[in-house]
Amino acid sequence: MTVFTCTDTFEGILCGVYDAWMSRLGHRNVSLELSGMGNVQMFTEYRQVQETAEKAEKVIHSVQEKAGQQVYEQIFRASLSHEEQKADRIYRFLIYALHYGSVILEQIQIPAVYEIFQMNRNVGNEAHLLIEFIRFSQTKDGVLFGVVGPKNDVTILMAPHFADRLCGENWIIYDEKRKKAVVHRAGGAWMVVEIEEEGWKERMEMSGDQQEFESLWKTFHTHIAIEERTNPVCQRGHLPLRFRPYMTEFQ
Amino acid sequence: MLIQEGMGVQEKLALLADAAKYDVACTSSGVDRKNKPGTLGNAVSAGLCHSFAADGRCISLLKILFTNQCIYDCRYCVNRRSNDTRRTAFTPDEVCRLTIEFYRRNYIEGLFLSSGILHSPDYTMDLLYQTLWKLRNEYRFNGYIHIKAIPGADPALVERVGLLADRMSVNLELPTSEGLKRLAPAKTREKILRPMRQIQRGIQAQRQEIIPYRGGRRFVPAGQSTQMIVGATPENDYQMISVAEALYRNYDLKRVFYSAFVRVNDDSLLPALPGGPPLLREHRLYQADWLMRFYGFEAGELLSSKQPNFNVFLDPKCDWALRHLEQFPVEINKASYGMLLRVPGVGVKSAKRIAAARRSAVLDFPDLKRIGVVLKRAVYFITCNGRMMYPLKIDQDFITSQLLGDERRNAWDISQRDAYRQMSMFDDGFMQVQPDPEEKAGVLAGQL
Repeated sequence: MTVFTCTDTFEGILCGVYDAWMSRLGHRNVSLELSGMGNVQMFTEYRQVQETAEKAEKVIHSVQEKAGQQVYEQIFRASLSHEEQKADRIYRFLIYALHYGSVILEQIQIPAVYEIFQMNRNVGNEAHLLIEFIRFSQTKDGVLFGVVGPKNDVTILMAPHFADRLCGENWIIYDEKRKKAVVHRAGGAWMVVEIEEEGWKERMEMSGDQQEFESLWKTFHTHIAIEERTNPVCQRGHLPLRFRPYMTEFQ
Repeated sequence: MLIQEGMGVQEKLALLADAAKYDVACTSSGVDRKNKPGTLGNAVSAGLCHSFAADGRCISLLKILFTNQCIYDCRYCVNRRSNDTRRTAFTPDEVCRLTIEFYRRNYIEGLFLSSGILHSPDYTMDLLYQTLWKLRNEYRFNGYIHIKAIPGADPALVERVGLLADRMSVNLELPTSEGLKRLAPAKTREKILRPMRQIQRGIQAQRQEIIPYRGGRRFVPAGQSTQMIVGATPENDYQMISVAEALYRNYDLKRVFYSAFVRVNDDSLLPALPGGPPLLREHRLYQADWLMRFYGFEAGELLSSKQPNFNVFLDPKCDWALRHLEQFPVEINKASYGMLLRVPGVGVKSAKRIAAARRSAVLDFPDLKRIGVVLKRAVYFITCNGRMMYPLKIDQDFITSQLLGDERRNAWDISQRDAYRQMSMFDDGFMQVQPDPEEKAGVLAGQL
């Protein structure tokens, strides 16, 4: 067995796919791993993937050519997943996808396809929930600032929604776990920024009317519930506890 | 009953949210609209729920009354004239500012504006119109707006409001005109159905335009909805779903909501509900509503005048399947899409996935599990390649007893929320008879 280790990025995984495929060792004799994850196994050769833009380009090109845009989107979303084995799963899926084409997406009964389907669903669901549950607060300069702590790396999937909805606002979505942010300038485009520096979050001072609207919202949130129907189990089912520390009404 | 002056926004919001909460509709679905430069907001057709209240209901829109002052005296309503409560009203600017600031912070998806009747229906409708006009034109709000059409208001006003809102609704409140006469003497069925018909005609007329006027706003693009109160009057479930079906067919409604009756007023004409609101009944009605809208069922198939109420222990689909065992088992690899939808444990998504997957493969039970079929319920009704998963009898009594175990627990969960407790080794939950004193003493002394 030969294991190709790659970094936890979309490009990294694609380069891993390229190297594993082009090694011509046979699909059964290779596997992909994210570097630094999992245990080292015996009787296994480890090869570090050399990442170049060219390799990734080649894989993207052949995926789009042979399997179509939808498959490409699916593997991109799968690459944002929190699953450790995502690199290998994408590889196994591409073996089918490059052979059968885009019809493969309907074949959920095949385990390799199902894994991708289920990772996609997980990532998509979390992005959808965070689009609903993210709360912005307004800084002194009028910038809207929202913090999230998602399991999957979904901030990039949330950005287009807010870029349209709040196109006239300056806003930042900050992923606390991955220390990266999506930044949007009023009337302009958005971009992803990695933030290593500590303490900048605290430096963003909140504006004066912040308190007012936060307490108004809390008032509304408590008064809209019907006492006779109180049902915390139902509430928890729809709004899991892990989202609540980031939400104004539960703080 | 005077409007209290000098109340802060905080207090007003508390009062008017309290007054609006018995309206169930809080969906933001039905329309897809992109933002434009210079405006704030867009709309997503699937709808977004921004939070969930302590009762587990979603909070999608800022649901408020414009005023809780009302000239009517409907028996079931918190805001009825004869109730001695504090009365207040927002100003259009307050509503706009709240909506905009909440929306920017991603608290809400838009505004749900309803109102008690201040002075007259026309006067109230005009106030709502002014508020919406301000919100759309001065505050440049492009998000979702759901508004109530006030029964009895001038059709010209309804028309103008409809061009600013996304969804309009008129509440039917009670499914029969007798019920309405008893509990809401000032409202009549005709008064309620007239604006409903008007909205329907408006939507239809615009659909027939060959070249839609570009840049102009569309009339009620997300359609209309209504609401019925469950359990305030003696109507049975069959009447309820028949009325709902008629509304879907004849008035092109997008949604009919069911609201379990909460006894907020102490009135001799209202039923006493010692067990709390009829939540399980409401749940069954919603299940049936979904079956009618997405699964191709008709009201007459689910219930009949002989069996006018839903089974407490079984969901409507299982109940239907058990009464029509002659149509089962269904062969997953061959059955039509319509028949797949009728199998308990198969939903719209899984039926679609089955239809897509079986084009190039023969499906078996483990595959169905991946596709998302709830095999726990479906096993009794399906075959894969002519075989059932286990050798099971297709027998009504047998399947009922098997299904009941699950369904009974679900029904119990809904009707007895939070009443469950952790089972422990020392539970005596099943002991009906108290142990006699000798035994007690024996246990204490350690003689087991």
